[in-house]
Amino acid sequence: MDTVSHVKNSRRRIVATLAGVAGTIALAGCAQNAPQDTFVPKGDNAQKIDTLQKVVFPIAGLVGVLVVALAIYIFIKFRDKGQDIPAQSHGKPTVEIILTIVPALILTVVGVFTFRTIMDLAKTTDTQMVINVTGQQWWWEYDYPAQTDQGITQPIITSGQLVIPVGTNVLLRETSRDVIHSYWIPALNGKKDAVPGRIHLLRLQADKPGIYAGQCTEFCGLSHANMRMEAIALSKEDFAKWVAGQQKGYTSPDEGTKAKEGETVFINQCSRCHQVNGIKDANGKAIISAPDENVYAGAAPNLSHLMSRTTFAGAMFDLVNQKCRDDVWKAKSDEFGAKYLTGVTTDCLNQKNLRAWLRNAPAMKPMYSDPTKLAKTGGKYRGMPNLGLSEDDIDKVVAYLSTLK
Amino acid sequence: MAIIERPGTETTPAVVTPQQTLGAVKRPVETKGWREWLFTVDHKKIGIMYGVVAMAFFIVGGVEALLIRLQLAAPNGHILSADKYNQMFTMHATTMIFLFAMPMAGAFANYFLPLQIGARDVAFPRINALSLWLLVVGGIVLNASWFLGGAADGGWFMYAPNSGPVFSPSHGVDFWVLGLQVAGIASLLGSINLIVTVLNMRAPGMSLMKMPVFTWMILVVQFLLVFSLPVITVALVLLMLQRSYGATFFDVSQGADPLLWQHLFWIFGHPEVYVLILPSFGIISEVLPTFSRKPLFGYPFVVFSGASIGLVGFGVWAHHMFASGLGPVSVAVFSIATMAIAIPTGVKIFNWLLTMWGGKLWYTTAMKFAIGLVILFTIGGLSGVTHSVAPSDTQQTDTYYIVAHFHYVLFGGMVFGLFSGFYYWWPKVFGKMLNEKLGSWNFWLMVIGMNMTFGPMHILGLQGQPRRMYIWTKARGGEGLFNFGFWNMVASIGSFILAIGVLFFLINVVKTARSGKTAPLDPWDARTLEWLTTSPPKPHNFDRIPVVHHLDEFFHRKYEEDSAANTMRKIADGEELVRAEEAAADANIHLPAPSYWPIVLATGVGILGLGIIYGVPIMVVGFAVVLFASFGWVLEPSVAEDIDFAPASNDGNTKEIAPLG
Repeated sequence: MDTVSHVKNSRRRIVATLAGVAGTIALAGCAQNAPQDTFVPKGDNAQKIDTLQKVVFPIAGLVGVLVVALAIYIFIKFRDKGQDIPAQSHGKPTVEIILTIVPALILTVVGVFTFRTIMDLAKTTDTQMVINVTGQQWWWEYDYPAQTDQGITQPIITSGQLVIPVGTNVLLRETSRDVIHSYWIPALNGKKDAVPGRIHLLRLQADKPGIYAGQCTEFCGLSHANMRMEAIALSKEDFAKWVAGQQKGYTSPDEGTKAKEGETVFINQCSRCHQVNGIKDANGKAIISAPDENVYAGAAPNLSHLMSRTTFAGAMFDLVNQKCRDDVWKAKSDEFGAKYLTGVTTDCLNQKNLRAWLRNAPAMKPMYSDPTKLAKTGGKYRGMPNLGLSEDDIDKVVAYLSTLK
Repeated sequence: MAIIERPGTETTPAVVTPQQTLGAVKRPVETKGWREWLFTVDHKKIGIMYGVVAMAFFIVGGVEALLIRLQLAAPNGHILSADKYNQMFTMHATTMIFLFAMPMAGAFANYFLPLQIGARDVAFPRINALSLWLLVVGGIVLNASWFLGGAADGGWFMYAPNSGPVFSPSHGVDFWVLGLQVAGIASLLGSINLIVTVLNMRAPGMSLMKMPVFTWMILVVQFLLVFSLPVITVALVLLMLQRSYGATFFDVSQGADPLLWQHLFWIFGHPEVYVLILPSFGIISEVLPTFSRKPLFGYPFVVFSGASIGLVGFGVWAHHMFASGLGPVSVAVFSIATMAIAIPTGVKIFNWLLTMWGGKLWYTTAMKFAIGLVILFTIGGLSGVTHSVAPSDTQQTDTYYIVAHFHYVLFGGMVFGLFSGFYYWWPKVFGKMLNEKLGSWNFWLMVIGMNMTFGPMHILGLQGQPRRMYIWTKARGGEGLFNFGFWNMVASIGSFILAIGVLFFLINVVKTARSGKTAPLDPWDARTLEWLTTSPPKPHNFDRIPVVHHLDEFFHRKYEEDSAANTMRKIADGEELVRAEEAAADANIHLPAPSYWPIVLATGVGILGLGIIYGVPIMVVGFAVVLFASFGWVLEPSVAEDIDFAPASNDGNTKEIAPLG
């Protein structure tokens, strides 16, 4: 009796050890600080999903281990040891019925919780803030309608980095200007497709200030891999500062500076597609860009406050150098806001990336910008063409863009 | 062709007389050399050709996969451009699904289904040949795009509007649309052919519930195809009209809703998943009992769970669309339905395990692959269950986690099942045994390679590496030893080990062909009717149509129950049984004559398709060939002029094959 229980105990211990080892290996095998980890929720929507999957995955794992263990037992126990050919039994209905009911019960329980979470994540009645999110090849545009209770007195249009206040139920109203894209910030919620002609809703909420990485996850053509984004969560005070910064008026660079020359180049070369709010031509007439005449999607990123974002070109490239990037990405959450709001200082500006982009954008990011291959779009680009700027022009434009704080 | 069972009376003519030869071209009588293959209507030769074609495309799709893994081995890969990468993953999936998996299942179905039910051929032999040649033409059209301006680049799911003329301006998608339509006709014809064969041509005594499980699963698959292929065909035609003739079905600026494509695609696409896996389920449901020396545990449960997987499979398509913006009620319904489908699938796994329970397990290579399927499919099935939880799926869909999931299901499941079938049935088809030692290398390298390739993808996906991306970056790859770089490298190395494993199979095939051991007639002590004939079988399959009394008829002819000892007693040797059949051969066996027209008609359809891309003149040529071939087909003499056939005998029932094909 004693020996039996001893054997049982030691067996149990072995099983427990094996399970522990397997679990440790599984966890140890993971990367640290992967920015798009789907098991590190940073807001209550992602938390709801996480609560569900932290139950479902272990159940699936456990069932898997049990089935595989049973299988291995069978493989060893019933191997051909010269035994007789067994009687030809065709099965036992009772066993079949039990083996049908048990998984059905497990799945029923999982189903109930799944159902509740689906409904919770579809709720829109508790929305505190709305942002229109529009995907196009291969970048995201954010359009903040005026919402005085959030301090947004006039609309803000930006791109690449979505800025939200912490602890606020934000509702994204997603659509697309060309093909289907999908908005996904794993730390804040699951993904939701942005479909042309439709508006889809996605809840986002962040608990703490920080930068949360995401990527377009519906295949959207040539540069799908390069369509990234970040969500920036700021404390409410910092968010108010950010809003104020975005609503700041335009200041033309001083006469005689390189930046002023850059403004002229910008007006001639860039402003046909890229809007800078408040920019005026030599006659003092406001310049309204008309991207729909040149770009198939009919939009190009608004550059009014370019230097307030740390990435550009669909968040594909850092606008800041590695040191300043690490500063922002690795900031503690209470220091994050101040660091992000510093924007791109002259010291931080990633000259290499920005210049290379201005020199030949399609060489940096695959796009449909070869004029000989645009027959199907009536000559319109999908993406940014090579502008053929001289190095001198590039210097000037960089100087000008640096003023767009 | 149909089998006509009739009383032997003088008044009923057995077959049309050879004088009625009105055709424009003589029907080939006996063909030799390459003609023997091009014009054959023999289901066995057609089956072998299906296998060869599918294997060739398996290698093509495999090379595409290796290029993908080379590109992704390290961050910012530069082996392939973005454009080429997008073509590569589109064609990898398309090739593997439509040109490898389905035709390879078709190879097994074509060859073994008539043998398993004791028939002499399929119901419509010429249509069977047409299916094969249409598939070949479809495969050529699809892959021709590589050399004619680039392959399709929209993913195998080809979502609208990205697949439209504006967003995919090369001809790649046109080739894709046409190639798949042609291959689709092939599958549809094949499925009707096999359904009629199973329902009408089973040997006397073989009720549906005495059919081998492989035949059952193939039957279920054919019904899935019959009901799902029309849906994708409609979608493909709409897309073709949009791309080639300016229609606006998926043009959002004209008011289209792009989700229409997704619904059409997945209403086909999800049953398609079961089209891919059920044949392999069927194969291992033959292999496991054979090498366990026990009948399949719970035969009716396996059959009905297969059928119910097929049925419920039509009601879960939107689980591919949980992130696409469906309402919460739809999401909930499809989420629960998807969980429900896990139940019959689980039943199958338990039944396979219980088949082995109490058995006498013989670990041949075929058995090892079958066991591999059981384990690997279980893993893939369980990650599938995690996907059925819709909120969780919105995190993991379109990441490498789902790539891991379906490769465990399709490679670990489907491909392992097919390899099990290769080793199990090779002696039947070619009369030679595949080398077991090379087979062991083949199996273990594939197991290691497969787990190294697709195992790490679970981690990569859960940690946020999205799929369908020509590069991944260090910035999103995490830190520490086990960052994305580590696991991507492991996966890439694994893919080459996997490829070497497959190479061992090809070496085995060559070695066996050259110097393989001649197979005994019943090498595995098998259970089903295909073993009750010579290896390879004669053109007419069975010298005498067997009369069936049992499930696993062949086994029960060899063994008798010894109820006292609770075991089985051998009463006859498999080889003796086959020789006995030969001795009692039927006197009058008629087989359909070969035909020129299937391959000509298929070629015409291909040219017609190219005409849609390259303009009316080519279309006219294609149409002319199709018309010519159709008339040739219809007017072809139903038997060859000098075919030798004897009048029916008068001794009661005679089975004959009337070659009306």
